[in-house]
Amino acid sequence: MKYNILQRLLQAAAVLLGVALLIFVMLRIVPGNPIATMMGEHADAATIERMTAELGLDQPIPAQFCRYIADAFRGDFGTSYSLGKPVSQLMKAAFGNTLKLAVLAALFAWILGIGCGIIAAVRKNGVFDHLFMGVSLLGVSMPVFMVAMILQYVFAYHLHWLPISGTDSIKGFILPAVALGWNSAGSVSRLVRSTLLDILQEAYIDTARAKGRRQWGVLGIHALRNALLPVVTMMALQISSLLSGAVITETIFSINGIGRLAVQAISGRDIPLLQGTALFSTAVVILGNFLADCLYSVLDPRIRKEA
Amino acid sequence: MGQNMLEVRHLCASFFTQKGEVKAVNDVSFEVPRGRIVGIVGESGCGKSMTVRSVMRLLKYPGKIVSGEVMLDGRDLMRLSGREMAAVRGAEVSMIFQDPMTSLNPVMKAGKQVSEAVRIHQHVSSEEAKRRTLEIFEAVGIPEPARRYDSYPHQLSGGLRQRVMIAMAMICRPKLLIADEPTTALDVTVEAQILRIMKNLCGTGTSVLIISHNLGVIAQICDYVYVMYAGRIVEQADTFTLFEHPMHPYTCGLLNAVASLRLGREKLDTIPGVVPNLLHLPEGCSFSLRCEKCSGICASKMPDLMKTGEGHMVRCHLSGKGGES
Repeated sequence: MKYNILQRLLQAAAVLLGVALLIFVMLRIVPGNPIATMMGEHADAATIERMTAELGLDQPIPAQFCRYIADAFRGDFGTSYSLGKPVSQLMKAAFGNTLKLAVLAALFAWILGIGCGIIAAVRKNGVFDHLFMGVSLLGVSMPVFMVAMILQYVFAYHLHWLPISGTDSIKGFILPAVALGWNSAGSVSRLVRSTLLDILQEAYIDTARAKGRRQWGVLGIHALRNALLPVVTMMALQISSLLSGAVITETIFSINGIGRLAVQAISGRDIPLLQGTALFSTAVVILGNFLADCLYSVLDPRIRKEA
Repeated sequence: MGQNMLEVRHLCASFFTQKGEVKAVNDVSFEVPRGRIVGIVGESGCGKSMTVRSVMRLLKYPGKIVSGEVMLDGRDLMRLSGREMAAVRGAEVSMIFQDPMTSLNPVMKAGKQVSEAVRIHQHVSSEEAKRRTLEIFEAVGIPEPARRYDSYPHQLSGGLRQRVMIAMAMICRPKLLIADEPTTALDVTVEAQILRIMKNLCGTGTSVLIISHNLGVIAQICDYVYVMYAGRIVEQADTFTLFEHPMHPYTCGLLNAVASLRLGREKLDTIPGVVPNLLHLPEGCSFSLRCEKCSGICASKMPDLMKTGEGHMVRCHLSGKGGES
C-alpha cells in the first residue's frame, strides 16, 4: 500500500514535469512577440531587444526551461509582465477566491446530487424520480452562463436577496457557487441514481434483506458504499476542474480567481502568468486524481494490494 | 403448537408485466414438519425460487404475492407489517442463495457481515457478536476462523463463502432455513460438504426447506419432496417413494434424465419440448403438450392433486393407471 502511494506520487511528479515542458515550449513557439505586445506600439527595436535580454528570453529554450524549473522549486514563478507583481503572489490571492467558490459549489452539487440521486433510485418511477431527473437533465444541459444569468435575474435583480456580483462577503459567493455547481449536481445525481439502481439488483442486497435489515439499513450499510465507488471518481474530477478555475462563472460574477487570471494572462500574452496558471491547473488535476485513487482503495478492498 | 414449522396454503404469486399477469406460483400448498428437510424440485422457471422468496416476502419487482397463507410456527407471515417481517427475517426464517460469489457484500469483511445478523436482532455488544461469529464459523467448518473473520469475500473460495452464508443464516438459530439452490455454483466435493453441514444443522432443531433442480441433492438430504412444474405442485411424496415409485409422467421424465454410471446408456433420456410460456398455458394439464401419455381429458381439464398413497399426491388424470413406467 505504502509502496503503491509512493509509486503514484513519483508518477504524478513526472507528469507534472512533462506538462510544464509542454506548456513552456508551446508558449515559445507560437508566433508573436510577447515583449512587443507588452511595450505597446510605440516601443523602438532597441528597447524591445534590451527588455528581451533582461527577461532572459534571448537564451536558448532548454536553458530557459532549466532556469524556470530551478526557480519554481524555490517558489518563484517569475514576475507577471502585465501586472508587474510576482506570479506566486497573484495566484495566491486569486486562489483564495477560487477555493471558496469551488468548495461551496462542490458542497452544493454533491449534497444535492447525492441526495436527489438516492431518493430517485429508492422511489424509482415515482414523482420525485421524474421531477429530479427532469431537473437534473436541465442541470446537465444548461450552460453555466445561462444558469448564472437566470440566478442573477431572479435572486439579485428581482428579489434582492443576494448581491449580483462581487466578493465582499461570503454572501457574494452563493449565486456563483450555485451556478457553477448546478451542472455537477445534475451529473452526480444521475450517476448516483443509475449506479444505485444497479447495486440494488445485486444478490448481496437480497442477503442483507434476508438477514433482517430494513430498507434504509440496506441502503445505508450495504448499497451506498458500493454505489459511491464510481461517484468518487466523478467527484474527484469535478473538484479538480472547479479548483483550477471557473473562467465563465468568475467573469460573470466578477470574482478575481484563477480562471480570470488565466484569461488576463492569455489576452496580455503574459508568459510567466500563463505558465503559472496552467501549471497550477495541471497540478490540481493530478492531485485530484491521486486523491481519488487513494480514496478508491480505502473504499474498495478488492483494489488494495495484498500486503 | 402444530406439528409443522411451516405451512403454506394456496399461495399465488405473479409477475405483473406489460403483457399481462404471469402466474409464476399457482395455488401452491406445502408444509415443512419440525426438524425435517423438505425439498422442492423442478426445472428452471417452474416457480420454485418464487415460492420460497414469497415465504420470505422478498419478491423482486414486478413480482407480487397475490394470495395465500404462510404460517410459520402458527403465525401468518402475510399479515405482518413490513417492520415485523424484517424482524422475522434472519431471526426466525433465514435464507441462503444460489451464488455465494455474489451473495456477499464485496466491501465488507466476511465476519462483520455475519455478526451484523446477530446485532440486528439481538442487543449484544460487538465483542459478543464477534465471539458468536467465531463460534459459528467453527461449527460450519471454516478453518482459521479468526483470520477468516477479517477476510473480504473476494479472498475466500466459493465453498468458504457458502459456509459464511450458512453461518450468517444460522447464527440467530432460526426456526426455518431456506436454501435456494445452495450448491448449484459449487463443485461436487464442496457440494457434499455443504450438504453435510446443512444436515447436521437440521439436527439442532432448525427445519430446512431446500430447492434444487438437482435430484441427487434432493435424494441425499431430503425427507419429503415436492415436484413443481409450471407454477404448480405436480407430485409430492416422501423421498423414498418418489424415487422408487414416481407417478407423474413429469417426475418419471426427470428421473430418467439423470445421468447414471450404472446403466450403460449412450444418450441421456430427455423430456421433449420446453417449459410452456406461463402467459399461454394449455387449457388442460400444463404438462399435456410434452407428455407421452397425453389423452383426451388431459388437453381439456386441469387435473387436481389426488392422493394415491400414504403422503403421496399426484396431479395427473392417469395416476394409478399407468403413470408409473
